[in-house]
Amino acid sequence: MRPFSYQRVDSVSAAVQAGRIDANGHLDAPVQFLAGGTTLLDLMKLDVMRPQRIVDINPLETSLSDIAVESGDVRLGALARMSDVADHPAIRKDFPVIAQSLKLAASAQLRNMASLGGNVLQRTRCTYFRDVSWASCNKRIPGSGCAALEGVNRKHAVLGTSENCIATYPGDFAQALLALDATVDIAGVQGDRTIAFRDLHVKPGETPHVETTLLPGEIITAFRIAGEPWMKRSLYLKIRDRESYEFAIASAAVALDLQDGIVRQVRIAIGGMATVPWRSEEAEAVLTGKPLDEERARQAAQAAFAAARGRGENAFKPELGRETLVRALLEAATLEF
Amino acid sequence: MTISESQVGPISEGGMFGKPVPRIDGRLKVTGAACYPSDTPMEDTAHAYLVTSAIARGKIKAFHLEDAKAVDGVLDILTWENMKGKVRSVRFFAGGGYASSTIMPMSSSKIWHAGQIIAVVIAESFEAAREAAYKVGVDYAVNKPKAGFDESRPQPRPMTNPLTRSDPATGDAEKAFAAAPVKIEAYYSTPTQHHNAIELFSTTCVWSGDQLTIYEPSQYVHGLKNGVARQLGIKPDKVRIISPFVGGGFGGKAALTARTAFIALAAQRLNRPVKLVATRKQAYTVSNFRAETQHLIKLGAESNGQLTSLSHEGWEVSSRPDEYKVAGTETTAVLYACPNIATRVNVIHADRSTPGFMRSPAEVPYIFAIESAMDELAVALHMDPVELRRINDTQINPITDAPYSSRALMTCYDTAAKAFGWASRNPVPGSMTDGDWLIGWGCATSCYPTNVAPAEAKVTLAPNGSVRVQSAGHDIGTGAYTALAITAAEFLGVPLERVSVELGDSTLPPAPVAGGSNATASICNAVADACKELRHRLVTAAVASNGPMHGLDRDMITFSDGQLRAPDGQSETLMAASARLGFGPIEAHAKYMPEIASKTIKLVGNAMLGKGLPIMASGTSAGDHIQYAFGAEFVEVRVHRRTREIRAPRIVGAFAAGRIISPTTARSQLMGGLIWGISAALHEATEMDHRFARYVNDDLAEYMVPVNADIQDVEVIFVPEDDTKVNALGIKGLGELGNVGTNAAVANAVYHATGQRIRDLPIRLENLL
Amino acid sequence: MDASSPLKSSPPENLRDRCQTLDLVLQVNGRSRRVVADPRVTLLDALRENLGLTGSKKGCDHGQCGACTVHVDGRRVLSCLTFAAAAEGKHITTIEGLAPQEGDLHPMQQAFMDHDAFQCGYCTPGQIMSAVACVTEGHAETDADIREYMSGNLCRCAAYPNIVDAIKQAKPLMRERDA
Repeated sequence: MRPFSYQRVDSVSAAVQAGRIDANGHLDAPVQFLAGGTTLLDLMKLDVMRPQRIVDINPLETSLSDIAVESGDVRLGALARMSDVADHPAIRKDFPVIAQSLKLAASAQLRNMASLGGNVLQRTRCTYFRDVSWASCNKRIPGSGCAALEGVNRKHAVLGTSENCIATYPGDFAQALLALDATVDIAGVQGDRTIAFRDLHVKPGETPHVETTLLPGEIITAFRIAGEPWMKRSLYLKIRDRESYEFAIASAAVALDLQDGIVRQVRIAIGGMATVPWRSEEAEAVLTGKPLDEERARQAAQAAFAAARGRGENAFKPELGRETLVRALLEAATLEF
Repeated sequence: MTISESQVGPISEGGMFGKPVPRIDGRLKVTGAACYPSDTPMEDTAHAYLVTSAIARGKIKAFHLEDAKAVDGVLDILTWENMKGKVRSVRFFAGGGYASSTIMPMSSSKIWHAGQIIAVVIAESFEAAREAAYKVGVDYAVNKPKAGFDESRPQPRPMTNPLTRSDPATGDAEKAFAAAPVKIEAYYSTPTQHHNAIELFSTTCVWSGDQLTIYEPSQYVHGLKNGVARQLGIKPDKVRIISPFVGGGFGGKAALTARTAFIALAAQRLNRPVKLVATRKQAYTVSNFRAETQHLIKLGAESNGQLTSLSHEGWEVSSRPDEYKVAGTETTAVLYACPNIATRVNVIHADRSTPGFMRSPAEVPYIFAIESAMDELAVALHMDPVELRRINDTQINPITDAPYSSRALMTCYDTAAKAFGWASRNPVPGSMTDGDWLIGWGCATSCYPTNVAPAEAKVTLAPNGSVRVQSAGHDIGTGAYTALAITAAEFLGVPLERVSVELGDSTLPPAPVAGGSNATASICNAVADACKELRHRLVTAAVASNGPMHGLDRDMITFSDGQLRAPDGQSETLMAASARLGFGPIEAHAKYMPEIASKTIKLVGNAMLGKGLPIMASGTSAGDHIQYAFGAEFVEVRVHRRTREIRAPRIVGAFAAGRIISPTTARSQLMGGLIWGISAALHEATEMDHRFARYVNDDLAEYMVPVNADIQDVEVIFVPEDDTKVNALGIKGLGELGNVGTNAAVANAVYHATGQRIRDLPIRLENLL
Repeated sequence: MDASSPLKSSPPENLRDRCQTLDLVLQVNGRSRRVVADPRVTLLDALRENLGLTGSKKGCDHGQCGACTVHVDGRRVLSCLTFAAAAEGKHITTIEGLAPQEGDLHPMQQAFMDHDAFQCGYCTPGQIMSAVACVTEGHAETDADIREYMSGNLCRCAAYPNIVDAIKQAKPLMRERDA
């Protein structure tokens, strides 16, 4: 861990001012915000992230950790902790995909620490990224190559990859946000802005080191969801080797508006399989307006993974992803309220 | 679950053996007061951080230390350039020496394996040392490494090669296999695994004049003491190891690793204490590991199930310089009755660190192979797998005809099968389901040789009637503190709370390595001998005195409730009897020599023990017999019919392991072993990037050990067994017994659930898609 | 990108002071404790190296094992992923401060002893801190819940079933005590 200066801020504007800095991307900026710290300290200890200044935004908790469900709409403050949101009665009842995605992530201690804003910005578990003694990682050292392409890549992505990076986006909550069409409130020196959550992350393409559309100094202040009663019929299915405390090998977030057996609307997001939180409109299109049965679910899963590409050890992932989505869809269809 | 007395056999004369009591060191552990070596308070400590090699094979061309030295607080940096010739080489542990490897890092610019220690940074703070370690620049000359096994299966070699004639064999296995009406022939493999004790590898060294004190978690303090002394060229009595608590060993803390000498030298150079807590990532290469193995098994049987041919060829990976192998064919060759047996073990050398002990070293991989093959044979025969074991059960070593001292394998099977509900199993694969989950039930044999080692112990009876037990043994979570206290309480007839036990300090009487499941048997016998000597002295004085025991037959006097008791009801207190021997404490120092020890061990065993050299009488060749503990394990797995994830919610193990001294801790040991086995079968593998011969999942987020949610019902059953051939107290040892059969039991259950036979561990969902 | 873009602006001041040393006051087990430390010092290292509270253990230093679990303002957190500086002003409880008074045992500590819910004992302080929180959070209502909510604490000796039993014993005693 490199030396840094530590400062606390007590307002969003002070945070944004403290975060102003020249940088190529938000995540490699020499000024970093400290919320839960569960990604930041981890990667600083590994010498992957080397901020020179840490701006502790936890004092903003009083204003940025609200969990509000009003008239069916949801507002989640960016400093709300994962555990508090997962345990919130209205979230559990009306937006189970959110509660489940949070509960199935990490451990109780990490969920007590990690903020929602930090959670969506967590970084890949790719070993070639996390261990600085590997020479090739385009995400860490742009232009150095990708050791995972021909390396140990069982857990690597099969969707949204490029020849420069196949690192998997590791989070769970982001898929829930995608499946509920969430928006993100962002504060910055140029003022506040709101974007669709699906526009927050960017695929690696030619620039794997750029992971989000946030600008240096910008800070996520809240997530918002325009709630619908049918979002009760939503779930998060997470597949992993062990029963708990592990990142997804495959996951699916499904929100389903099902009336008389016919899919009126469906939103599908895929986790553990892609370089970014992955929305599958292809699969949604297969289902919309149709009755939901096993065969239709299979067709949707085929569509979701039509573009998937495995390399070596992760060649099994498209099939696992399809099975995961089929299971999630059928389980969502049989939910009773 | 509680342990009833009937489960562990009759309660002993002193009322203590077999009685479930709480762990005597429990209070220290639940309050955070147990002092593990890195917890020792120390003034003016400097902190060390290791730099390890990013390449597996080659040389260091140059270091660039300017940036590292410029970090505020950096005090010293050790590299081969200033360490060359400073550490003398010592022999490899498995070759009768001290070291976990003959590779001595920083003795030259040579790199033998990835993760080898190439520099040690010492600084005023942990933070500064870590920062500087990352700033150490290294230019390597890189050669292409060999990572281990190639893609293809290893090819069998002739079993009759005279170079390997020590491999167990009898009859003509090849001919019998060719003639057998039912055959199984298959390859099996097990992966690289790491101990991953939750305690990290730490070392703190403090010099006081020419006296070196080392605080380091160790499974063998006398080995560590003598090994470091030899490395540093100082007398062993100038080195003291303090390791009262060990946060998990599992074989990873048994032999001397390279780090210790460097920290000792750093502390000497700086003339202040130096503390190292190696990182989790470094734990994968600074000590040893379980090597990956491959196996070719050929079984031939009559149509009634009787084995006619058994051959087992194994391949194991080792480092370039060390011919390390666990060679579990010693066990698989004697497991079942069979007239024709052939075995062979091969070592594949690669650019790796030297492997070593990891919980149940020889048996875990080799029993997985043979017990999977036995299940395949049962399927081929349309026979219940338990019945196949019964038909082939033996009470003698099929090669030498030497008897087992005791072998209750089939009692274990019948007991566990009943508890598990095996009778209701439908043998058709995939036939048992619960909703979307396929259910599979499988079983396998567990066994582990009963090894016993020379050991010393001192027992002191204080004038106030309290008892102190001292031995340089180790409690690595095994319950040694408790078992030794129970033993002293049993023989001296004092309440358990009057007994204190001191372990893990090299100034105490020497005891063997905590490994090979020998410790309880070896040290309890030493403690018993010391107690018997005290009893003899007390009784001799009592019958010669004018007290209530006057003139009685010495053998008639018993010890209980702090009293000496005569058959006629007369008694006197231990304190009164002890006062007769003079003021102050009375003590006895016993040197236990295993009953089964060979002539050579009897001759040199005590001397070797004192020098910290590995010395153990093996259960695989105990004179006129062989001695093993046995068990039978039954596992239920569940496989999701769509997404194929595998869970093991239920496991039952029944074990016959001689006399159970401390049922509470013994049960925990076996339970832990069963869970280790589930984990090894389904989760654990250290993954390697073969291009570079480097580990890639070297942390606890990526190397999967089980979490609480993975484990549900675990039932441990003790099958009573009385066997005083193994040693005077009849203890077989069981720390490594629990996880031996589990790999195969899980794999066999997966077959039953899915019809898919997975012969390569770990079994993961992609194997079943 | 226009001139006012944050990407074009220069840093407002020197980013760090090389020698920054923080003079912190931590509230640990009901006492104010002064820690003078580099900002890089984690709460775990501050407890162990600066304050001599070595009950909290380092098993991975990366939030992967749970051995360093402590309570901060009554919530279980990982002290290895917490900067000591960020814990200033909060109430920190470690295994050493769990019992109501010195010499006593918390019901969870007693339950761990009664059920042999450990072997080597290294993960035990973290397990116990986590187990106490598991009960107070209301996540100890079923065996399945206990197992799930205790999954952030690895036990390599694998005492898991005994840990579940210990929590079930301690839960009503904790409720009784707090009532």
